[in-house]
Amino acid sequence: MTKSLRSALLGAVAVAVFSSSAWVLGAQQGGAAGAAGEAQGGGRGRGRQSGPVTPAPRLPDGTVNFGRVPGEKGVWAVPYITNMAMRVVGKDGQVLPEIQQAQAAARAGGGGARGGGGGGGRGGSKSEPWMPWMPWSAAVYDYNSKNESKYDPEGYCLPPGGPRMMATPYQMEIIQQPEHKRIFMIFEGATHIWREIYMDGRKFPEGEELNPTYLGYSVGRWENPDTLVVENKGFNENSWLDYFGHPHTDKMEVVERWTRPNKQTLHYEATVTDTGAYTRPFTMAWDIPWREGGELPEYICQENNRYLNRLEDDLGQPIFGPRPQPGQKPPTGTR
Amino acid sequence: MKRAAFLRAVIVAAALALPAVAFAQFGHPMKGQWSGQWGPANSPNRLLLDLHWDGKDITGTINPGPEAATIKSVTFDYTDPSAWVVKMTAEGKDSSGKPVQISVDGKLENIGAYTKLFHGTWTQSGKKGDFTVTRN
Repeated sequence: MTKSLRSALLGAVAVAVFSSSAWVLGAQQGGAAGAAGEAQGGGRGRGRQSGPVTPAPRLPDGTVNFGRVPGEKGVWAVPYITNMAMRVVGKDGQVLPEIQQAQAAARAGGGGARGGGGGGGRGGSKSEPWMPWMPWSAAVYDYNSKNESKYDPEGYCLPPGGPRMMATPYQMEIIQQPEHKRIFMIFEGATHIWREIYMDGRKFPEGEELNPTYLGYSVGRWENPDTLVVENKGFNENSWLDYFGHPHTDKMEVVERWTRPNKQTLHYEATVTDTGAYTRPFTMAWDIPWREGGELPEYICQENNRYLNRLEDDLGQPIFGPRPQPGQKPPTGTR
Repeated sequence: MKRAAFLRAVIVAAALALPAVAFAQFGHPMKGQWSGQWGPANSPNRLLLDLHWDGKDITGTINPGPEAATIKSVTFDYTDPSAWVVKMTAEGKDSSGKPVQISVDGKLENIGAYTKLFHGTWTQSGKKGDFTVTRN
């Protein structure tokens, strides 16, 4: 079995972990969840847009409408971005030249962009020199690369944290309520979760009032009628940035910039500042296509998650099995 | 009666199983509370490590309470990303107020799992023994 095929299959298994039922549903809906194949391309996404490009809809106040207009159906087909390091952009908004070169070299070598993009991913931290690693975050990433994301929290049906919500391959709706000064995001995937963005100009809670959560605390504002800026703080440490296992800490802050350059496209940009895991901020960006006529189906990740039943840790113990007792020697297999 | 006992056992088992799910943590692997023991099996010394990551250093306390020891230094060798070599020193006082020096030479394993394991050699005031702690 070639390495790339093995990688593709592992990616498929990872998706299946949190989507066994959704796969069937997705297939019935025109491949909505058939993401595994595309996933290995580093996140080109599914739900290709079709038809002419049309202007982005607007709300009565002139700001962009990130959702549907009355009388139509549609959802955002969130792409599967397995390795966000391959989406790091420079100040010009373009993917870093070194990433483009690595991808071109991989394509020239016949490797395509599998495994999250040539030049990155399973090669560990050394294959992503543009990432501002701290020694420990590089080591954790190397570990996650080595065991091929065996401990991906999404495999446990835990929600994604931060930008990974916009890179988990299910459909998503954005519902704006300017009269209530809030925006809702509803995700089919990622354990069927929702997110609320406060648009009332509030300040972030401070100290212990900022309770760490998977999705963090989100406060948004309009930079101009085309651009929504959402600041996020208060993340817990129960998630990874992506499937490939870039770690983060509870010091992570994310500034998102959303635009809808046309009706068919949501352009997403996220600047991650995590003084606990990375030595400087970095910005990632990608497009999310609109899927005309789409609706959110029900999907329950936890249902029939057999992955957890057979998953063993590095010591050969069931992942949710008994812990070593005080005084007990480490189980056989320990280095 | 048997049914009640069975139900009690189920509830206890469920309660014991909960923390494994509730305290998933994928930030710095050393961060958190660890419990276990060091010393001979027939006379073990209980251990509780409360460790924090401030973005530069691991800080924290061994056995919080009247005989607590404060972590002074922690270093890592990541040569094997799945078995980090960790060296730690700490200082505290015993119940009589005498200074206690602690030196820890261990390995951090099972890094991605909930039951992270830190084990190796524990030296405290001239005594040496094996130690094992798992993350709570």
